[in-house]
Amino acid sequence: MANHETLPAETSISREEVLRRKAFLEFTEDDVAVLEGVNDLATQYAESMIEDFYKHLMAFEETRTFFADPELLRHVKEMQKAYFMRLTQGHYDQEYVANRIRIGQVHEHVGLPVKSYFGMYCFYLRAVLKRLREEYGEAPEQAFAIFNSLMKLTFFDIGLAIDTYIESRERTIEGQQEAIRELSTPVLLLRPGLLLLPIIGLIDTRRARQLTEQLLRSVRTNRAAVVVIDVTGVPSVDTKVANHLVQTVEAARLMGAVSIVSGIAPDIAQTMVRLGIDLRRIRTVGDLQSGIEEAERLLGYRVVKERPADGQGEKEGP
Amino acid sequence: MNRSRAPILKLGETLIASVQEALMDADLVGLRDELVAEVKKYRATCVIIDVTVLDVLDSFAARTLRHIAQMTQLLGARTVIVGIQPDVAFAMVQLGLTLEGTETALDLEDALSRLKIRVGRERSAQ
Repeated sequence: MANHETLPAETSISREEVLRRKAFLEFTEDDVAVLEGVNDLATQYAESMIEDFYKHLMAFEETRTFFADPELLRHVKEMQKAYFMRLTQGHYDQEYVANRIRIGQVHEHVGLPVKSYFGMYCFYLRAVLKRLREEYGEAPEQAFAIFNSLMKLTFFDIGLAIDTYIESRERTIEGQQEAIRELSTPVLLLRPGLLLLPIIGLIDTRRARQLTEQLLRSVRTNRAAVVVIDVTGVPSVDTKVANHLVQTVEAARLMGAVSIVSGIAPDIAQTMVRLGIDLRRIRTVGDLQSGIEEAERLLGYRVVKERPADGQGEKEGP
Repeated sequence: MNRSRAPILKLGETLIASVQEALMDADLVGLRDELVAEVKKYRATCVIIDVTVLDVLDSFAARTLRHIAQMTQLLGARTVIVGIQPDVAFAMVQLGLTLEGTETALDLEDALSRLKIRVGRERSAQ
């Protein structure tokens, strides 16, 4: 409803898709003719329709907030009138579809909930029905035919608008997935020759590849001899994930590095055994601490506690 | 033979085969025969094969390297493959070529330190 500049790229629907949608709604040339026939009537009632429409919207807190600015309200009323008039102007072609999609995008963009969107359409239809009854009180058959055609067109519009909502959500999800993928899995140098690879979250094929490549590069640049792969943060393991893990370990071994896998959760251990995943070629230890201790042992380190930790010395006094 | 593609250097009881360029299957077989013969001849205890320059290791190469390791083992020498590059390692595991049972090291230096072979001055010059 407000600024149009920041809208996403226009979604286009093919000519064939438009025809398929119309066919499914049984929206035919007869309907077009019927709607064009009431254009004069629509012009006559447009003003009062729009007034009623906004009166309804302003009566509810949820929708009122969208029209707090009187200047904006005047603008959207103009737009709404144009929308309403367009319903009976015929030529429901690609340009019409593009216009409807655009309207959907504007509403999605300002954050109008879908329920309000539907509610507004429902009000529209009811308002039209009321006026048709007044106008065609003597000829209900005719009123019925007009309403029938209008309903088809309205549902056609709703379909387009809701698609823009769904598409926008899908774009958001896609973007987030990309962001999650790009959250790199760090490879940390813990001691000379000792790398730590903490894995958090699900491992899919793509991530496993990225992870392995990163690890192998780090093995080379840091001249690492031992790698601790900590999987405490991996929520579930299936055959595929386990195979990725085995591949990572094998690849590191080809470069002369020993891998220690730490932090396999009890239920994951159960799953792995049940799935028959063979991890005999992988060194595993219970938790990260044991992993690091094992790695230090392999590298020949010995960590010795020399004195009490800072700040605890006094407490030990008499 | 393959002398130009993978010359074999002798360092005490260690033989170092340093691959200089991409190896054909025949070169690999030649390297294998030569290494096995030289292990016997020099009574070597260690063999290091440096494949740093290779940007691909196919199944034949992997199998030959494994065979070299097993054969030299029978003659009493330990074989270490060194210098497999990250991309090569990744490609190999995807093909299921894991050189199982064969020792590997990051590079020549790493292998020498594992084999506890000291190179260089024992003491600084006067």
